[in-house]
Order: sequence, then C-alpha cells, then structure tokens
Amino acid sequence: MAGGSTPRPGRESVSVEEHEQLRRDLDALRDQFEAADEVLSALGRSAADPEGVLTAIVESARRLCRSDAAHLYLLQDGVYELIMSSGLSDEAITFVAEHPMPLDRDTLIGRVGLDRRTQQIPDVLADPEYGYDLQQIAGYRTLMGAPMLVDDQVVGALNVWRTEVQPFDAREMAIVTAFAGQAAMAVHGVTLVQELEARSAELAKNVERLEALREVGEAVSSSLDVDHVLSTIAMHAVALSGTDGGSIMEYADRDRCFMVRSVYRTDATVVERLRSIRIELDETLVGRAARERRPIAVVDLDAVPLDPHLQVLHDDGWRSLAAVPMLREDQIVGCLVVRRKRTGDFTEETLDLLETFASQSALALLNARLFRELEQQSVELELASRHKSEFLASMSHELRTPLNAVLGFSEVLLEQMFGDINERQEEYLRDIHGSGQHLLELLNEILDLSKVEAGRMDLEYSSFDLHSLLELAASMLRERAALHGIDLGIETADDVGSVYSDELRLKQVLLNLMTNAVKFTGDGGSVKVRAVREGSEILITVTDTGIGVPEADRERIFESFQQGGRGSSREEGTGLGLTLSRRLVELLGGHMWLESEVGRGSTFGFSMPAADREAVGRPSDGASVSACGEVVVIEDDRPSLDLFSAYLSGAALEVTTARDGPSGLAAVRRTLPDAVLLDIRLPGIDGWAVLKELKAEPQTRDIPVIVVSIVDDRARGVAMGAAAYLVKPVGREELLTALTSVGAPVHTPAGSSEHGVES
Amino acid sequence: MSHERILVVEDNPKNLKLVRDVLTYAGFEVIEATSGEDGVRLAHEMVPDLILMDLQLPGIDGAEALRQIRTTEKQVPVVAVTAFAMNNDRTRAFDAGFDGYVEKPISVRALPQQVSDFLKLGGTS
Repeated sequence: MAGGSTPRPGRESVSVEEHEQLRRDLDALRDQFEAADEVLSALGRSAADPEGVLTAIVESARRLCRSDAAHLYLLQDGVYELIMSSGLSDEAITFVAEHPMPLDRDTLIGRVGLDRRTQQIPDVLADPEYGYDLQQIAGYRTLMGAPMLVDDQVVGALNVWRTEVQPFDAREMAIVTAFAGQAAMAVHGVTLVQELEARSAELAKNVERLEALREVGEAVSSSLDVDHVLSTIAMHAVALSGTDGGSIMEYADRDRCFMVRSVYRTDATVVERLRSIRIELDETLVGRAARERRPIAVVDLDAVPLDPHLQVLHDDGWRSLAAVPMLREDQIVGCLVVRRKRTGDFTEETLDLLETFASQSALALLNARLFRELEQQSVELELASRHKSEFLASMSHELRTPLNAVLGFSEVLLEQMFGDINERQEEYLRDIHGSGQHLLELLNEILDLSKVEAGRMDLEYSSFDLHSLLELAASMLRERAALHGIDLGIETADDVGSVYSDELRLKQVLLNLMTNAVKFTGDGGSVKVRAVREGSEILITVTDTGIGVPEADRERIFESFQQGGRGSSREEGTGLGLTLSRRLVELLGGHMWLESEVGRGSTFGFSMPAADREAVGRPSDGASVSACGEVVVIEDDRPSLDLFSAYLSGAALEVTTARDGPSGLAAVRRTLPDAVLLDIRLPGIDGWAVLKELKAEPQTRDIPVIVVSIVDDRARGVAMGAAAYLVKPVGREELLTALTSVGAPVHTPAGSSEHGVES
Repeated sequence: MSHERILVVEDNPKNLKLVRDVLTYAGFEVIEATSGEDGVRLAHEMVPDLILMDLQLPGIDGAEALRQIRTTEKQVPVVAVTAFAMNNDRTRAFDAGFDGYVEKPISVRALPQQVSDFLKLGGTS
C-alpha cells in the first residue's frame, strides 16, 4: 500500500467496504462465541459424553477457521491416532489409519508435537521437509495444527487444512490453540475416568486372582487328597485364564511320559482317550514346554503339526491352548494345560498366572508322592519289625530247647542221681550249669528288650502287696548273700501297702537290682531294700556298701552292651539287665536313678505310681462298696494264682493276691474285699487257720470266703464258716458261679448268674 | 515209692531222655512219645496217670493233642511244658484247657515234686 499507511477516514465517514468488514468481524466473533459456548456446554457433559465435546471442537474449528477439514489426533505410544475428523474422505481416513504419524518433522502434527506450539505450513508443496503422502489423496495446501497439552505433556493435536494456499491468520491460530487446549482437557478427563475404571477393573481382577491363589494354596497345604487339590487348581486356572477347559498331567521319569491326573470341563471320552495314549516327553508339545522349562501357547491348532496329545484335543474341537510346565527345583513334575474351543493367543500376564498355578500343582503332587513314600516306608518298617519279633521269638525257642538239655543233664549229674562225682568234676559241672543259666538269662533279656522296643511288651496289671513281693525277691537271694556274709534287709513303710502294677515285671526289676547289689558288695557288707510312699508315688531303693559306680559310668551302665563301651572290670552278667530294668520301670509309669560314691556303695532307686488308696484301702467301717468289686486270692501255687487272677480280671473284679497266710490276712484286713478265695495248703499258717482268724474278727467276719483246695473237706469248711467250697481243678464257670452266689459283683459276658451251687 | 505212669510227649530226644531219666530215678514209670499223634495214641492205649505235653510239636501241636485226648480221657491231668516263660504262653496253656504248666528249662530238682503235685490234682492215687 502506498505511503505505508492505511487511509483512515473520519469516524463518521465509514465506507461501505469498511462497514462490510466490520460486519464480518462481528459475525465471526458471534460465531466464535457460540462455538465456544457449544464447546463449553459440551465440556460440561464431557464425563458422560466425551465424544460430543470432541465433535463440537472439530466441527467448530473447521467452521471458525474457514477450513476444508479439521481432525483431532491422540498420541498413543509415540504415534498419532486419528480420533475425530470433519471434512475427511473415507479414503483419507483409511490412509491415515494405515499410515500412522510418528513424532517427526515429516508431518505438521509431528512438528507441533515436537515443538509443542501451534504452527502452520502455508503451502505444503513448497515445504521440502514435508513428506506425508496423504496430501496426494486429500489435496490440501495450507495446514495448521495446535498441540494438546496436559501437564506440559503432548497428548494429541488438532489439525485444520485448506485446499487452497491461504495462510491462517493470528485469530484463527488462536482459535485452534484454544480448542486444542479444550480438547486436551476433555480427553484428559476421559483418560482419567478410563484409567480409574481400568485400575478398578484391574484391582478387581487382582483380588479375584489372589482369592483363587489363596484357595489353591489352602487346598495344597490342608489336603492330602491330591486329586481334590489338582481339580481345584485346574478349575481356577481355567477360570482365570478365560479358557474353556484344562488338564493337569503328572510326569513319570521312569517311562518319560505324561499321564493325565486331573481335568476340568473336559469330556470323559476325551479323558479316556488321553489316558490311552502315550504323551511322551520327547515327542509332544507339552513335553517340549517341560524340556524348555517355559510355557508354550498354540494360537491355532489347525496351523500346527499335531502330536498324539494335540490330535486327541483337536478331534474334540479344541482350537488353542497353553502348556505350562510344572517344575520343582528344575525337576519336571508335570504339565498344566488350558485350552479354548476357539483360536487365540495368551497374554504374558495370563502365562505368568498359569505358571503360578503350575508351581502349586507341582507342590501338591510332590507332597502326595512324599506322603505315599512315607506310607510305604512305614508299612515296610512295620513288616520288618514284625519279622524281627517273630525271629526273636523263634530263636528264643530254638536256643532254649538245647539249653534245656545242657542245664538238665548237668543238674542230674550234680544231684549225683546216678553215682558219685569227684570235686573237680563237680566244679566243672557247676561251670557248665552256671554258663547255661547265664545264656538263658541273656536269651530272656534279649527277648524282653526286643519286646519293649517293639512296643509289644504286654503288661498284666493286678493289685498285690508290695512288701510280700520284696520278701519273695529277698528270699531268692538270701542264700547267696549269706554265703558272703552280706546282710540283706527289707524296710517297707506302713503307708505303702498294695500297689497296682505288673507283679512279674516288678519282680524282675527288683531281682535285677538286688542281684547286682549282692554281686558288687564285698563280704560282710550290707544290702538294704526300702520302699516308701511319696505323694502319688512309691519309691523303692536298693542300697549297697559295694564298690560304687564312677561318675563317668553312671549313665553308661544303663545302656545295653551294644551301645556303650565295656567297663573295666565286669563281673558276670548279661549287660542287659539294667537297660531292661530301666525300660520296664518306664513302661510301668516310673523312672530309675542312681546315686553312688566310689568305694562307699551305690543306691539304685526307682519310682512307680501308688495305687489309689481310696480304691485299695477303705476305712474299717465294714461297708465296702467298690465300683467293680474286689477279691483277695490267697494261694501259694503260682499257676493257680495266675489262672484265678485271669478269671477274676475277666469278670471285671479287682484282684489282690497273697502267697501265704499272714500276707493274705493282711491283704483282707486292708482291702476289705467283696470275697476271698482261700487255698488250704499254704506255707506257714494253713488255710484253716486263716479262715478261723477271718471269722473271728468283727471287721472281716462278714466277708464271704470261698475255699478252693485239692483237699476235699467240704464239711469242715462249711462248719468253719466258708461261704462255698470248691475242689480243684476249678473251671472258670464254676468259680464265677460260686462268686455270684456269695454276692460278689461278677460281670459275666452272658448267661445267668443265679445258678446255684452248694454252699 | 509209687509207680504212677507218666506219659511224656516231647519231640527233642535229648530233652525227652532227660525227663525220662529224672522221673524214672524218682520212681515213676515213664512212657515216651515224640509227637502229638503218638501222644494221643499212647494216652488211649496206656491210660497214664499224668501227661506232660510239650506245646510245640511237629504235626499236631500240644493244644490239639490235648483236645483229641480229652475226647476219651476226661480225668487224666495234662500238664503243658512251655518253652517260653512268657505271660501269654501261660495264659494260652490255660485257655487251651491244660491243668497246669511246667516252664522250660525244667528244674531237675523240682520236677519230681511238681509231678507229684499234679498227680494229686487228678485226685487219683
């Protein structure tokens, strides 16, 4: 323009041309305002209708900038993706979809994104850097674009073009910039909502997974039923991987094959077929997954060569699958397979999840195997232990038979039944006999010990008078003690009384301790046996004045000869006696100890539970009412005593035994039983004398006495107050009938107890 | 001295000889059987006053031999000679119906007295 200045007429004189311009500007502003209003109101609904906002923006930008087309892109992974457009041909849209625009200088929006500012290309054909072939399709010349920025990050771009070369002015550039900003806000809002939704969906999915894993974990740790565990795993694996069915296979290293262990949503016929084929490690897809220690997915079973396993699945209509190896410390345990009836890939995430399930399955299978092995082992151990016991029992018998002859014949000679022998011969015979005895003891102790160790030592409990037992044991050793001038004494505290234990085994322990004491005590020494009550226990001690046991040996002497080293100077002995005694004491509910001083002597002690005094000894008011009934048996013959005890125990009667008259009387006075079985031929005072005393005393007068004797003197018995008189041999039935008839509470398994018997 | 007749059933020849010699020395008349079958037959044929029966025998065992003897001989005391001095064997002997038992190894000194006691069990003399 000439003069470099626009001719400016006065305010009043507005040319037609100028008026036109003003009107256009006003229209444009109104348009702009309306468009902005439209966009703003659309923005207000944006959360519900993001598409509406973007449509309004694109349409308004195109109209207000007087352009032929407007389009909006979002940046996804560094590439622009067309979201919304106005004035774009289908051909152009397809081209853009197929040719995504990266952030580079070939395109305008690439530059907009790189430079993060609004800019235009006045004529793309004049721009040597521009290189996007869309131009040839769409034929645009002038391009303008503005970046969509959120938190200073480029999230997309708004783009307008004109098919003629006609650069955009500053106002138009401002409009597009503003619209791009609004679009960014709208998209960002949508993104936020979408992210929120995606995140909560993911959260829900994670919860679901954790839930499934927890369930599987629980099944693995709580159930030994491996099939239950595996089917739980298969079910969750299928559900969480979005597949239609699955199976868990166990790998057998022996034949390098997989075997179907558990399936989920799979036809029984398919399972049957899968079990009938060999799924080999080296020949199959699952085998390959296991060999390569990684999951393998098959997107389309139609497109891969089929191994026998895949063939069966394919025949049943399965189209895709994932095989996940089950590994434990790199050892192949099996394979987890999930499958679909349609084609499809498996995401990394799904495969990760399946690997977790596979490792749980591996754990479950190994646990089950371990359990099976343990079970098998315990069966074998049980068998071995039984064989050992049987062997020992038969060995004991086999060795005892020849020993019987050795001992018997040497005894015959020692008895000089068939002629005299000289002193030297007698000495040797005693050696033979002694050695035989020793061997026999050894045999017995080995057998007993093996029974204790195998838990097959049967104990026979009964109530008996402890003092009598101590006296009996002492009487068996008196001769030997006297030989060495050893004083063997017994002290029983008054409150000891009856005990409830295995009399035979207790005697065995006592004899062992007392024999040792006598053995290790020098001539003229003493051995004292004491029994005292201490709370709920009876303590029995055997104290000698012998050589003592050094501190270092005190534990060792309780070990059997196989375990400990040999002592310095051992007297003859089996080396098993103390071991056995200690085990027997423990079996009887007590413990054994040793106190010793070298040169001064030793005290071996053991405890045993005291019988309940309430049950054993009642106040002497004559009203003896025990729950199960109680009988005192006075009988010197051991076999008969055992037999009667067995009969009475079988009838739920508590038995107290005595082997002679005085202890029998003491037992009756102490226990005030429901009945007394009395033998007549007794050492010391005989049965008649016992009967007479019992009937003479007020507190025992009313206790029924049944005489059991080989002496048939019924008339005398009845005359002296016996309630019944039985002549040996006496059967079980006869004995129990007699007891019932005298009022003892006999519990017979069957039959009437009213059966009378002459009394 | 009495001359009661004792049937000894024992498969081990040395042990049989031992019992025989000891009982003969004590004045008893001894009949020997080395199997359960022999024992049953001799129990019927010889009518002994007492039978000493080993429990473990080849062929029929002591308990079965006792059962067969009892079908005809109701009175004669039959005493078990048990090889194992164990509670349950003793119980088993009584359960089988033996009138008593003697533990192996037998006591040469005690055996004659034990036999005398068992003879009284039968109530005979």
